[in-house]
Amino acid sequence: MADILRQPAEVIYQAELEALHAEDSGSKPHNWYVSPKAVVTYLMGGKTAAGVEISAKYIGNRRLIETAVATLATDRALLLLGVPGTAKSWVSEHLSAAICGKSTQMIQCTAGTDENQVRYGWNYAQLLAKGPSREALVPTPLYRAMESGTLCRLEELTRMGSDVQDTLITVLSEKMLPIPELNEVVYAERGFNVIATANNRDKGVNELSSALKRRFNVVVLPLPDDMEQEVSIVARRVEQTGIGLDLPIPKNVREEIEKVVTIFRELRGGETLDGKVVLKTPTGNLSTAEAIAVMVGGLSQANWFGEGALTAEDISANLVGAIVKDPVQDKVVLEEYLETVMKKRRDYAEYYRSMNDVL
Amino acid sequence: MSQAEIHYFGVRHHGPGSARRVLSALEHVRPATVLVEGPADCTPLFSQLARPEMKPPVALLSYVADNAVCSTFVPFVEYSPEYQACCWAVRNNAVLEFIDLPVATRLAQMVAEAAEQTEPSQEDTVEAEPVQEGEEERDFRLSADPIGVLAQLAGYEDGEAWWNDLIEQNADDDHAIFAILDQAMLELRSAALEQCGEHGDLVFARDLPREAHMRLTIGKAAKNSEGPVAVICGAWHVPALQEKHVAKDDRALLKTLPKKLTASKVKSTWVPWTTPRLATSSGYGAGVAAPMWYKHMWQQRNNPNALAYWLGGVARVMREQGHIVSTASVIEAVRLSNGLAAVRGRPAPGFEESRDAVIACLCFGEALIWRKMEARILLGSEVGAIPPDAPLVPLLEDLQRQQKKHKLKPEALPRELSLDLRSGAGAGKSVLLHRLHILDVPWGTLQDSGSSRGTFRERWQLCWEPEYAVRLVEQLIYGSTIEQAAAGKMLETIHTQHTLGLLAQTVQLCLAAQLDEAAERGIARLDERAALAGDCIEFLESLPPLVNISRYGTARDISLEHIDTLNVRLAAQAAIALPYACRNLSDEESQHYCRCVGAAHQAILLAEMEDDAVSSWWQALQEVVDTPTASLQVVGLCARLLYQEQRMAAEVLQVLFQKMLSPAIPAADAARFFEGFFDEAVQRLLYDDLLLNAVEQWLLRLDDEEFIEFLPLFRRMFSSLDAMERKRLLDIVAQDRALVKTDTAYTLNLDAGELWSAQLGRLGRLIKGEQQWYQ
Repeated sequence: MADILRQPAEVIYQAELEALHAEDSGSKPHNWYVSPKAVVTYLMGGKTAAGVEISAKYIGNRRLIETAVATLATDRALLLLGVPGTAKSWVSEHLSAAICGKSTQMIQCTAGTDENQVRYGWNYAQLLAKGPSREALVPTPLYRAMESGTLCRLEELTRMGSDVQDTLITVLSEKMLPIPELNEVVYAERGFNVIATANNRDKGVNELSSALKRRFNVVVLPLPDDMEQEVSIVARRVEQTGIGLDLPIPKNVREEIEKVVTIFRELRGGETLDGKVVLKTPTGNLSTAEAIAVMVGGLSQANWFGEGALTAEDISANLVGAIVKDPVQDKVVLEEYLETVMKKRRDYAEYYRSMNDVL
Repeated sequence: MSQAEIHYFGVRHHGPGSARRVLSALEHVRPATVLVEGPADCTPLFSQLARPEMKPPVALLSYVADNAVCSTFVPFVEYSPEYQACCWAVRNNAVLEFIDLPVATRLAQMVAEAAEQTEPSQEDTVEAEPVQEGEEERDFRLSADPIGVLAQLAGYEDGEAWWNDLIEQNADDDHAIFAILDQAMLELRSAALEQCGEHGDLVFARDLPREAHMRLTIGKAAKNSEGPVAVICGAWHVPALQEKHVAKDDRALLKTLPKKLTASKVKSTWVPWTTPRLATSSGYGAGVAAPMWYKHMWQQRNNPNALAYWLGGVARVMREQGHIVSTASVIEAVRLSNGLAAVRGRPAPGFEESRDAVIACLCFGEALIWRKMEARILLGSEVGAIPPDAPLVPLLEDLQRQQKKHKLKPEALPRELSLDLRSGAGAGKSVLLHRLHILDVPWGTLQDSGSSRGTFRERWQLCWEPEYAVRLVEQLIYGSTIEQAAAGKMLETIHTQHTLGLLAQTVQLCLAAQLDEAAERGIARLDERAALAGDCIEFLESLPPLVNISRYGTARDISLEHIDTLNVRLAAQAAIALPYACRNLSDEESQHYCRCVGAAHQAILLAEMEDDAVSSWWQALQEVVDTPTASLQVVGLCARLLYQEQRMAAEVLQVLFQKMLSPAIPAADAARFFEGFFDEAVQRLLYDDLLLNAVEQWLLRLDDEEFIEFLPLFRRMFSSLDAMERKRLLDIVAQDRALVKTDTAYTLNLDAGELWSAQLGRLGRLIKGEQQWYQ
């Protein structure tokens, strides 16, 4: 097992889950491994009465996680929505690990996902041999979750075509899966529920059908609200990626990350960090993940084409590329930002100049 | 006579839970005397509170007759325990009395404080509301709403939820509940005292005399009462009231206070109040987080489905705003609220749970949708009503005072008034008239307000109509003096106004009415809106009024530095947006843009901005000229503006002219360019040889047909010259070209005889109708 690149959450955090389970006295919904309160503790971190340290899996607003857990405790499905890079899948994995001890019952939704991968497929050899029967059915993760009263995860729900998404409507509202071919119905056991994740501002995603949206309780996971937090996330990821690509990490990388994250946060938030100037926001979503990509791109450029040190020129081209997604609209936004904010900041003079050059 | 039994009911001001408990406790005790925390000298007014015409929210307003800025208000809502106690007392014929410090003393304190504050600098006006800042504010909040503070410490956002969870859940008996609360307050007070150490006296300085006064009044009432006495006061004070104190000490303490103002100097009356002003966010110290939620809790206090009603109400508001909200979603929201309460370990869902559930179930997780409706749902917009015969209206009184001060008499017949704003008296009158204008009382109408002649003179037409008094009463909700009310109203307008140009005008009005605070808010809002506005026209339109303000507004001595910074910013934004904005415009739009660009250009030049800001404007104009798809009329205008300030070389302009007016360009387009360039500026041809040259060369290059084609355009352009100018233009052209000598002497042409006979022959052939007549 040691060769596995990454273990599922329930294996990595087995000790924590067992500790929570051992002393859990609160009432539990049917088929839950621990009580809802303990699930919140598992995600937000804390300490059990026995003194076992529970690490924080999600750093952010506790209220959101409470809403998510409370939703799953009713029979409503949960939709985790947010821009890319806001830990949606991460939260979804840990929620199912804590609630039913199994995070691998999962459907990866893509543009190529069809109904057979959501409801059930057919084993054609069996079908030919025995005709339509339960034995000839190939169950999907959703099917199994209904039968066993556990959670099913749907990753990137909106990347699946809208017509395929609608397959879920009956499952979510009536909690049953009709098999018209056999004139049978799979009824969901108590404890069954669905956690879906979806991007709300990404390119290449389908509209979430409104019929489906009404059947979910939606929790929007925000981008990190803390500057420090975001800088350290970026710094850590840049370092890891840099090592992976054999790029040397210059000394000044932390300062540049701070500047890039400042620019990202200001444009994304629509105001300067000191709150004095309100700004327009560009069409792109400027996620933490993109900040990481900009920095890695800059590192690569500095390494192969520069003199080793990371300069504003190396970063600017990537930075402009990340911000200007719409050539007309975003360009105005960026120009305005450069003129009204960056120009006045002495330590950003390099960025001001080189970004203007790129524009 | 023996001492009557005294019951103390510590309450949370504006707490529906408290109100309910007080009512049931009063029913239980059935006191003969009800004592309520409220100014003692206003007792007669309070009996009006129970009248059916009185519709809460209302407030008891007291102010110093000759200085209405010193005022206090005591708001009452339907769910205020004090209000319910008053109504109960009136219903049950109990003696109703108020026990707090008389308002005369409170106002005397305020007048003294105001005097202290204004002595060092006379200009500062004293804030009306007795809300202190910073450290003091927290202390004030502690004594005003200790339950709210406790709830916050316990991680609740809302005091009522804490009250419900902790106080109501632990006991079912009224007496037990009030006893628990007293105990909590006793602990809190001693903790507060300990924490502040030596400064303890300071913390309680505000409360000590009040509590002494209450003790004395309670003692007196208990002696005279024929039955049990009920005291309804803020929970914070109960421990102090129950303590044993020597009456002599209390009296001694009261002696240290400033002397009461005489009754004739203090005016008290009821005024209608609004729900948003009950909210903590409006700066009211004892305010509540969400007045409408509290009202709902009070009205639905016996309804087990109260939460469903609340969420149904939220859904209704959302539907009105165009969101599709199904009943099924509302059901889910109720279920999620219950689930959340369980996860959080709370006995029943409260305000926070309902909000989180609304966001997850009705707003599809978007907190923004909720925030947009929040104010409407939580703060509401209800206005109270007072009986029509309630005593005096402070705004009218203030007006009379101002009229006396400025020697302006209300007359029904129109009268002209000319004011010199440089004199104090003139400025004062102008400010008063402007403020009244803001309050929908057009007593004076400003004449020739649009004239460009100096801004230190104003001419007004005065005419008073009786209904203006009624209108003033309606404006009471904004404030109790004309200044306050005008400022309040402007602040509201500023808050709801989105267009930059109109906002700038509002700021101008605020400055004219000398409402500095509102003007500052307006400028801040302009700043905010400026960032979000994307429409170039908006930037262009807002520049001229703002530049006007910064140039002339100073006649009224207000510092306007930030307007200058704002102007620079707006100019920069306009400069960035302009090249993109003037592409592919219709004729009508181009006309509009030309007007706006011209005005903005004028403003930018007048504003004397730094070179930096101006140069980006020049750059923008240049960019417009270089943009192929830009509207040609705007291009023409920009070219002229550039050339006029010598930002464009003559040769470049000539090339531009040749290009724009070349025959391949359709006549209509060339006309647009020509019009944009020379509109309101044909006179330039008189003074500018180079320009004239460029135009002339173009004209000479045109062949006859083209010339005739463009003729209407020339006619249109040159018709803006008057006869003299046209003659001068002709002179200049003639002089330069020597085509016509204006003072030519007649000379004899020797060949004329020959030519003439040939001409006659041709004429004869023509008359005969010959084909080859011209040979």
